[in-house]
Amino acid sequence: MNRQQAQDFIANVLATPHPGELQVALSGTYKLGTRFNDCAVSQNVLQQQITLTLTARREQKKASVTINTLDDKATIKRAIEQVFATCRHMPDDEEVMPAMGEVITTSEHAWNGAAEALEIETIGAWAAAACKEGAAAGIDLAGLLSLSKNFYAYGDSAGGFAFERYHRSDFHVTATGNKGSGWAENQGVNIEQDAVQTATRRAIDKCLLAQNPEVYEPRPSTVILEPQAVGDLLLMAFWYGFDQRASDEGRSAFSNFSGNLGKLSFYSDPASEIFPTISFTADGQALERTLWLDGGKLQQLPTNRYWAEKNNLNVKPSPNNIILAGEGASLDELIRGTDDGILVTRFWYIRSTDAKTLGFTGMTRDGLYRIEKGEVTRPLVDMRWNESVLRVLNNVVASGKPVATGEFMSMAMPALKVEDFHFSSLSN
Amino acid sequence: MFELLKQACDAARKEGCQFADARYLAIRKQRVMSRDLALSNCSDSDDRGFGVRVLYNGAWGFASSPNYNTGEVARVVALAMRIARASAMALREGGVQWAAEDALRLDFKSSCAQNPFEVALEDKADLLIAANGVMLKNKTIKRARGYLLFKQVQRWYVNTEGSELHSDVTSSESVIWAIAVGNDDFQERNWKAPSTNQGFESYKKEEFLLQAERIAAQAEEKLSARLAPEGDFDIVTDSENLSLTIHESVGHATELDRVMGYEVSMAGSSFVTREKQGKFQYGSDQVTLMADNTLENGLATQGFDDDGVPGQRWEIVKDGIFQAYSSGREFAHYVGEERSRGSCRADHWSSIPIVRIPNLFLMPGKQPLSPEELIADVKHGLYFEGMDSFSIDQRRLNFQFGGNGVWEIKNGKKAGMLKAALYQSRTPTFWNACEATCDESHWRPHGVMNCGKGDPMQIAQMTHGAAPTRFNKIRIIRGRES
Repeated sequence: MNRQQAQDFIANVLATPHPGELQVALSGTYKLGTRFNDCAVSQNVLQQQITLTLTARREQKKASVTINTLDDKATIKRAIEQVFATCRHMPDDEEVMPAMGEVITTSEHAWNGAAEALEIETIGAWAAAACKEGAAAGIDLAGLLSLSKNFYAYGDSAGGFAFERYHRSDFHVTATGNKGSGWAENQGVNIEQDAVQTATRRAIDKCLLAQNPEVYEPRPSTVILEPQAVGDLLLMAFWYGFDQRASDEGRSAFSNFSGNLGKLSFYSDPASEIFPTISFTADGQALERTLWLDGGKLQQLPTNRYWAEKNNLNVKPSPNNIILAGEGASLDELIRGTDDGILVTRFWYIRSTDAKTLGFTGMTRDGLYRIEKGEVTRPLVDMRWNESVLRVLNNVVASGKPVATGEFMSMAMPALKVEDFHFSSLSN
Repeated sequence: MFELLKQACDAARKEGCQFADARYLAIRKQRVMSRDLALSNCSDSDDRGFGVRVLYNGAWGFASSPNYNTGEVARVVALAMRIARASAMALREGGVQWAAEDALRLDFKSSCAQNPFEVALEDKADLLIAANGVMLKNKTIKRARGYLLFKQVQRWYVNTEGSELHSDVTSSESVIWAIAVGNDDFQERNWKAPSTNQGFESYKKEEFLLQAERIAAQAEEKLSARLAPEGDFDIVTDSENLSLTIHESVGHATELDRVMGYEVSMAGSSFVTREKQGKFQYGSDQVTLMADNTLENGLATQGFDDDGVPGQRWEIVKDGIFQAYSSGREFAHYVGEERSRGSCRADHWSSIPIVRIPNLFLMPGKQPLSPEELIADVKHGLYFEGMDSFSIDQRRLNFQFGGNGVWEIKNGKKAGMLKAALYQSRTPTFWNACEATCDESHWRPHGVMNCGKGDPMQIAQMTHGAAPTRFNKIRIIRGRES
């Protein structure tokens, strides 16, 4: 749907008689995906649909219904009746807030004309070319090349409206040899064949460098975390710890927190040049650049409208992307400046071990290397680590330039050089 | 409902496909969430659509649509064909090898005595808010939460071999949480009502209130619990805790698509390589792990899988020796099997089926043995209850798991609770350290509702189960620095 079609559709839904406040959200996606392994395409998928979510409010009661049958007015009318019937049976909740009623002007930072033109044959051909490169190198390649073309529209009976189109691309590839593997990715709002080739080459090079890994006795070590590893770790910390209300209520690592968190800044910005996103929330709140950590000093955390109003705070909606500002060093510069350390390509299966200290565990994967006297010298057997994100941020001694990363959330992360990182056991 | 699906398969056959199938799904969900003495949300959804999968010249094509009509079915078949031709640009040697299967006619319905979608919202609210109220009576509890999730999936399946299948599966899930704040700390304790293919009948208010009181008291106790000791200890796991360990260290490790590298780039591979079949010592002789997609009320019990293969029961590990993988029709030939194990499922009408963990459980001990007797033999150890932190490497070897409630065991009895306890091991080391498991009367099933796999990720459900079980000398570490 384009903007006018979405606006007309929402207007028609809102024009259906209803006994209270109604919020309408339309979400559409057209997603192409080619999955490959062993240098051959294993799945090739096209997914498309539009869903309609209706949220009804009557005073302090609220409920929602989502459907995907949109070509039948009677079905939509029934859904409206259903959502208000459910709403009527809800007990009162003092935290229910009225609709925003805000008309949001959007700039479609995350929409890309070149991406719009891509179709399954092109995506498939690029994936096939990557497979051939792996086969030529005698390396098994496995990965996913996907692109989605999306829109999101919001309207409410208080006069609110917003519409935005956006793209999301994801290429990640694992190269596996007889005794070791490498990995690379390209994330963003568009994908080009050059980027696919560059990531493929990088994964193959990392794989070649990863053969016959040696055992490194797990111990606290200086590490250089590549951007994906940084993103995975900080995303978990964001999900677990970044909530103003939890902090105020004593349920967060940041409750009564007065210390510093290193020296870097952490922010969100839908207009980011590195990884832009849609610029409003699912319930029609505009998003703007928001600083969460300013030079290591904690700022106000995401705060919903209810908590902000009750505590006289600024509303800070949960963002659609997170960005860690680095100091701009290249990965080579970080490696050259390290006398004795470990280079980590990516992490895997990170889970919380202690919410109070933002403690996590996880594994290294697909490329772990020893750095000696400023050079990557040999591959290492993967290791488990147990570490607190609070300590990691305080132990950053150098950082790179943010790049797009994140399969599950749009992120821009720099490589980080971190001292005293706690490896705890070997993978094999 | 079958007619248009048959048209899709007929059209694919006319295009020269080796195989094609078409699925129509109607997915209904309701999620009710509580926060303290209010419901924070009630959301319903109705999601319908169909997918067509074609195997053409050895390559897959798949396309889907929410619009179920003659014209759209024809368009989606043509699209699937177009995608299959694009897939053929990088074809595996010999193409897809598809295991034979007889045409099947089946209509499966899960047990559902009380349709959750017909239960009044007031009754659901009463269940959750009453439980929260009990938790909040404990003054250390600063947040009580809960949710109910109900799902009904109606599925119609047709393939070019002549199968016509229908299933109607209702599942239910509920969890309540107590979060205690104090001692410059906060601690959470939860209780998961059994997740099963059943309706609202499996939820009893009296049980919720009893469990709410118990977990609130234990959340409070966790605030002042001492940090876990570190070192090698005997551990005892309850059935829920061990269910997740089974899932991660056995279920995923024995998915044949992982073994063959199909999941390398996301979920990972497996250490259980093919030469291990029939001889690898996975665990001690106490360990028999049974797969059973016919298990009564099991979440993976759906009559048939999304390859059109009926549910089956087989041993994955027998008396400690690895026996067989979970598989789908595309993968059976890799281990010389003529037939799929019927464990290939898709999570949506727009998703392509992939190999999934079946219902999988540790068989109970054959001799009478109670949890008290099991613990009585432990001089100094730890007792793990419920699921908490869990992480395992991509080959399913090195793992580290916690428990939502952990107790010290001293001189054969449960002593005080411990904080931040984690057990860390390697899969074969751990299962070979299995010394004893309680008898059948103590065996309990536990559903997993959110198993992520695939790329893009799909979410599947399955049931695991175990009786309380003891393992010798397992490494214990702390998740928090002292």
